Amino acid sequence: MTSLQFYGLLPFIVLAIASVVVILLIAFKQSHTLIQVTGFGMMCLVIFSMWYVRDRLPVDVPPLFVVDGFAAVFTGLIVFCVLVVGLLSFIYFEEREENPKEYYILLFLSTLGAATLTISRHFISFFLGLEILSVSLYALIAYLRTRNNAVEAGMKYLVLAALSSAFLLFGMALIYMETGTMDFATIARTISTSYSPLFITGMGMMVVAIGFKLALVPFHLWAADVYQGAPSPVTSFIATVSKIGVFAVLLRFAQAVQLQKYPSALYIFAGLAIVSMIIGNVLALQQQNIKRLLAYSSIAHFGYLLVAFLPGNAAGVQAAIFYLSAYSITLLAAFGCITMLSTKEKDAESPDFYRGLFWQNPILAAVLTVVMLSLAGIPLTGGFMGKFMVLTSGVQQQLWFPVIVLVVTSVLGLYYYLRIISLLFAEAPAAGLREKNLHPFFNFVTYTALVVLALLLLGIGILPGLLIDGIRQFL
Amino acid sequence: MPVLFYISSAIAIIATIMVITRYEPIHALLYLVVSFMAVSMIFLSVGAPFVAVLEVILYAGAIIVLFIFVVMMLNLGSVTAVQEKQWLKPKVWVGPSVLTLLLLVELIILLFRGSNTDMSMPPVEVKRVSLTLYREYIIAVELAGFLLMAGVVGAAHIGKHTKKHLHRFLQEEKPTIADLPDNRSEIPIEKDKKELAEPVV
Repeated sequence: MTSLQFYGLLPFIVLAIASVVVILLIAFKQSHTLIQVTGFGMMCLVIFSMWYVRDRLPVDVPPLFVVDGFAAVFTGLIVFCVLVVGLLSFIYFEEREENPKEYYILLFLSTLGAATLTISRHFISFFLGLEILSVSLYALIAYLRTRNNAVEAGMKYLVLAALSSAFLLFGMALIYMETGTMDFATIARTISTSYSPLFITGMGMMVVAIGFKLALVPFHLWAADVYQGAPSPVTSFIATVSKIGVFAVLLRFAQAVQLQKYPSALYIFAGLAIVSMIIGNVLALQQQNIKRLLAYSSIAHFGYLLVAFLPGNAAGVQAAIFYLSAYSITLLAAFGCITMLSTKEKDAESPDFYRGLFWQNPILAAVLTVVMLSLAGIPLTGGFMGKFMVLTSGVQQQLWFPVIVLVVTSVLGLYYYLRIISLLFAEAPAAGLREKNLHPFFNFVTYTALVVLALLLLGIGILPGLLIDGIRQFL
Repeated sequence: MPVLFYISSAIAIIATIMVITRYEPIHALLYLVVSFMAVSMIFLSVGAPFVAVLEVILYAGAIIVLFIFVVMMLNLGSVTAVQEKQWLKPKVWVGPSVLTLLLLVELIILLFRGSNTDMSMPPVEVKRVSLTLYREYIIAVELAGFLLMAGVVGAAHIGKHTKKHLHRFLQEEKPTIADLPDNRSEIPIEKDKKELAEPVV
């Protein structure tokens, strides 16, 4: 490994060290606050080192990795999400029955998996990254192991993720059989001359696995149960980090082999997008449980995101990254509110927690309102700009049918997002018991973070140019 | 060797189907061993002796021994001695034995053919495998280490007993899961749950 390659991989090495540091900390001093602060510091160090090596990119680390601006954007987004998830975890796990220490090891390991996905240019690193991500997620989902919901969700995710990994491996094996290589670039070179049914079959099987991870429609059955059963910070992790990582590798693979050139692949992804948008929104319509509602809405949102993936050009990639950023901020804020409202016994998922919230806790209600408006795609929020860019990139390529479905289903989505907002401002029930504030410092920090996220959401909705320029600089 | 390849593939499929349809975990494990050996045979017949040996050592050897060990640990108690006698009926061990014998015959045929002229590709040497692993793909090996770490930490957390439990020799006699004849195959998580549900003494 040359020193240039070392510098390129530095952020990922720091990320890997973070989990080891946490293990050592647990061995010496079992303090939740210390682990939390150290973890926060390590994640900041990852971002800092990414910033430090920014000018040396792109760095090629054959045969497995390539660290380029694209990877830097996605890794930055992932680490940003983990910073927030880690912050939410403190309050959540400090009050729960389980010892929260292993949680951080698993959290950082799964982050490592997701970050590995963003830099992989080879099937081996792709698969290893995905497995690190999923294996840590099995344990994270079932972390509150005395709760039946959590164990059920973990089990469900374990079985389905293992099955989807089998599909992925089989697909990779078929493509390897056809092309004799597992390197994205070499595969692209080989199939440009010969394009066979074997390759299509392999691609199809990989789509199954990717569809599972992104919870696209025929493969979405786990989403609602896992979202509901997992602890709220873990749910926000699944909704953001794991999906960002998988989407990054999908994007890189598609760019390498120019997937959108093949009509069959284009039809498959267009079909997935359309079905996800329709079914995700329809299922969410009558949903009362807010965690399940967010699960269905995330299915729909990844349908929207695929519309930006379909054109396969630079505008589409930029739109996708913008959309993902806005979506991650939105969901982090949403799950932050759920975490803050959750009681010791159960997560705040039933609508009772939210009825008349504005009169009791105006800050959280305001943040949730902004979040719901952004999810619905109302102007002046990040969600609107994201949807707008996705639509622009779709219209440029004249993908009329997906674009029309996007518009129609967005209108459909308004119904259930606005229903929650009306719930927030409804007549207040008898004032509920305010729980004692056990961790004033972390409570304050979490509230601040939530407000900052909401402001960020408004910020990129009003001045999207800043974020777009930032993304363009890296790409 | 297409014929040998197809025979071992068929054995692998049959054995795996038997694994997932058996009721007793030990019976399933017997078939699982056969399945692993059949896969190893497949590797051998397509010219990858090193992978074949690894398959036997790691899967059929280490992992299965671990499995059996865990199953034995779950079956503590005097009832189990009688059960083990019941388990050792011919219909239990004949199936796996026949499949294994078939594999053995295949192996002997392969050995006596001697040369690897039938193979479509040259066998992969150990040296090449290790050099590739530890030179080009060293980062992949390290990542696999992190994967194992995730697995170990996760399993340690999920399987952990709560601290208030005494050592089992110090605990008062009470009916445990192992004594109930119907619950032999309970997984540890559920066992934990049941114990928690009982009033704490």
